[in-house]
Amino acid sequence: MEKRFEEVEHTADIALHVWGRDLSELFANAAYGMASQLTDIEDVVLTDEQEIGLEAKDTEILLVDWLSELLYRGERKHHVYVDFEMQKVTEKELQAIARGGPVKAYHRGIKAVTFSELEVVQTENGYETTVVFDV
Amino acid sequence: MASREDFQRVDEYIWEIPQDYRDDMRVPARLFADTELFDAAFGDRSVEQLINTATLPGVVKYAMAMPDFHQGYGFPIGGVAGIDPHSGVISPGGVGYDINCGVRLLFSQLDREQIEPFREDLMDALYQSCPSGLGGDGRVRVSERELENLLVEGANWALKKGLARREDVEHTEEEGNISGADPSKVSARAKERGLSQVGSLGAGNHFVELDVVQAIYDPEAADAFGLRERQVVVQIHCGSRGFGYQVCDDYVKGLQSAVQKYDLHLPDRQLVCAPIDSPEGRDYYAAMACAVNYAFVNRQVLAMGAREAFEKVLAGKVADFDLRQVYDVAHNIAKFETHTVDGHEMELCIHRKGATRSFPPGHPEVPADYRDVGQPVLVPGSMGTASYVLAGQQEAMELTFGSSCHGAGRTMSRTAARKKVWGEDLRDEMEEGGIAVRAGSMRGFSEEAPLAYKDVDHVVDTVHGLGIAHKVARLEPLGIIKG
Repeated sequence: MEKRFEEVEHTADIALHVWGRDLSELFANAAYGMASQLTDIEDVVLTDEQEIGLEAKDTEILLVDWLSELLYRGERKHHVYVDFEMQKVTEKELQAIARGGPVKAYHRGIKAVTFSELEVVQTENGYETTVVFDV
Repeated sequence: MASREDFQRVDEYIWEIPQDYRDDMRVPARLFADTELFDAAFGDRSVEQLINTATLPGVVKYAMAMPDFHQGYGFPIGGVAGIDPHSGVISPGGVGYDINCGVRLLFSQLDREQIEPFREDLMDALYQSCPSGLGGDGRVRVSERELENLLVEGANWALKKGLARREDVEHTEEEGNISGADPSKVSARAKERGLSQVGSLGAGNHFVELDVVQAIYDPEAADAFGLRERQVVVQIHCGSRGFGYQVCDDYVKGLQSAVQKYDLHLPDRQLVCAPIDSPEGRDYYAAMACAVNYAFVNRQVLAMGAREAFEKVLAGKVADFDLRQVYDVAHNIAKFETHTVDGHEMELCIHRKGATRSFPPGHPEVPADYRDVGQPVLVPGSMGTASYVLAGQQEAMELTFGSSCHGAGRTMSRTAARKKVWGEDLRDEMEEGGIAVRAGSMRGFSEEAPLAYKDVDHVVDTVHGLGIAHKVARLEPLGIIKG
C-alpha cells in the first residue's frame, strides 16, 4: 500500500495532509502519518494486534474515531500502531486490524484528533483530507 | 482571508473587524495588539478563527483575541468570548482538549545564591517528584470511587486527603473547585484515563520551572503576593491530562448531532456547540467542570511534589525550605461570571481558550489578601525566557470580560522550529547560559525553542499598555523540567 501524507504548517499544533486512492488507503495513510509523529516507525516491532470496528454518522467522525481509538489503545499499553490491514472502510463504517508494539522513544504526545476544518474530499484520484492534531 | 485593511483601529492597542465584514458574524471581532503583534496576525489562520468565533449564537459585545493570540483549532489561541446563557451556546472547541490547562506559582524564602550549590540536586529531585513524559503515571493513584469525589470537590478533595493546605486552596482561581460537576456525565473511558494520572505533568509545552525574581515593578502588589527580588520561585504548567482530553473528545463528537438538532450553522466543525440551556449543553458543562476540578487537583498534587523535592534536598542545609502558593490560574475554561454589558449586569458564559482571568482590585472573587492589588495573572514566557506576574485591573472588566494573555504565544510552526534548531544544541546553549535542563524528548524540546514564540516582554508590555493587567514582577529561569 502506498503511504502518502505530508506535514502542513500549523502554528501551534500538527497538521497532516493525507491522500488515498480509496477510503481504505486514506484511513491507513492518516494512521501511518499519525504514528510517524509519535515515534520512529521503523523501530516498532509488531508484537500487538488490535481488531477495530467502528460506526459513525459521517466519514469525518469515522476518521476522528479511528485515529482516536488508535491513540487510546496505544496509550493504555505504551504501544504505537504502525501497520494497518483495512478490511472494510465505507463512509460510515470501518473494520480493520492494527498492528504495533512498544516504543523505544516517543517524539511527542498527541492529546487529541481535532475536527478543525476537517473535510474528507473526493478528488479525481481518490480522497484527501487535512487532519489537525492537538499536541 | 481577512487582511489589514479589513480592520479599523479603535485605539492604540485595539483593532476591530466590523460585524458586516462577513454575513454570519453576530458581533464585531477585536484583536488586542500593538502594531507589530497586529502585523504578525496575518501569518496564519488566527484572524479567520477569530471571525468564526464571532458567529457563535449568543456571543455578546465582540469576539476577542489577546495579544499572544495565534492559530489554534476552532477558537484561536488567546480567544475570549462572552456568551448569553439564555440564548447562546457552550462550545467544547472553545475550551480545548486540555481543559483547565493552567499555571501555578509557588514562592520560597530563599535567594538564588542560597540554592546555587544545590541547584543540580534540586533539579534531579524535582524531575523525580513531578512525573513527566508520555503515559507516565502520576504521584497518586485513585480508586474509581475516590475519583468521583475528586471530580466533584476539586481542591477540597486534596485538602481532605492532606494533599493541600488551606492557603493553597484560597490562592487558587475559584478556590480550586467549580460547581456543577457531575461525574455521571463523564464517559467510562475518561474516568479510566484519569485514575492513574493525578499529579503528572505530561509532555508538550507543559513544564516545571525553577525561576528567580529578577525585577519588581509594583512593590505594593509584589509584597501582597509574597514576591521580592532575587527570590527563588517555582512555576508549574499543566492541565487535566488524558481525563480532560477524553471529556473534550467525547463531547466534540457527541455534540455533532446537537448542531443538526438545534439547527446551528457553524463555519468550522471544531466550533461544535450546544445551547447552554439544553440537555446536551448542560451535560457538557457538567463533564467539563469535572475536568476543571481534576486539573486543579493535578497541579495541587504536583505542588506537593515540588515541596517534597525542596525538603529532600534542602532540609538541614537552609533554615526555611518551604514553598508557599502565590496563585493558580486556568487558561482553558468556560465558566459563568457576572459582567457589565451596555450598563447592565449580566451573567455570561465566558470561554477562555489560551487566556487567563484578570480580575481587578476590589473584585469579590479575588482572594481577600490580594483584594487591594488585584488578582495575580501568571504569564509564563517561552522556554528559557522570562515569565511575568501581573495584577488584574479594572480595564479588563471594561474591555475583555476580565481576561488577559496566557503566555508569549507561538509564531512559528513546530516543523519550522525543528528545521532551525537541534534539541541538543538548544539544551547545551541554555545550560551554558546558566539554565539547568531536564527533558524527555529532544525533538519536543526543539519544537518549544524560544525562536518559535513571540517575545513575551513585548506581549506583556501590550497588556500593560492596554491596562487590562499591570506588571508586578519579572521572573528568569534557573532550571527547566519538560516531559
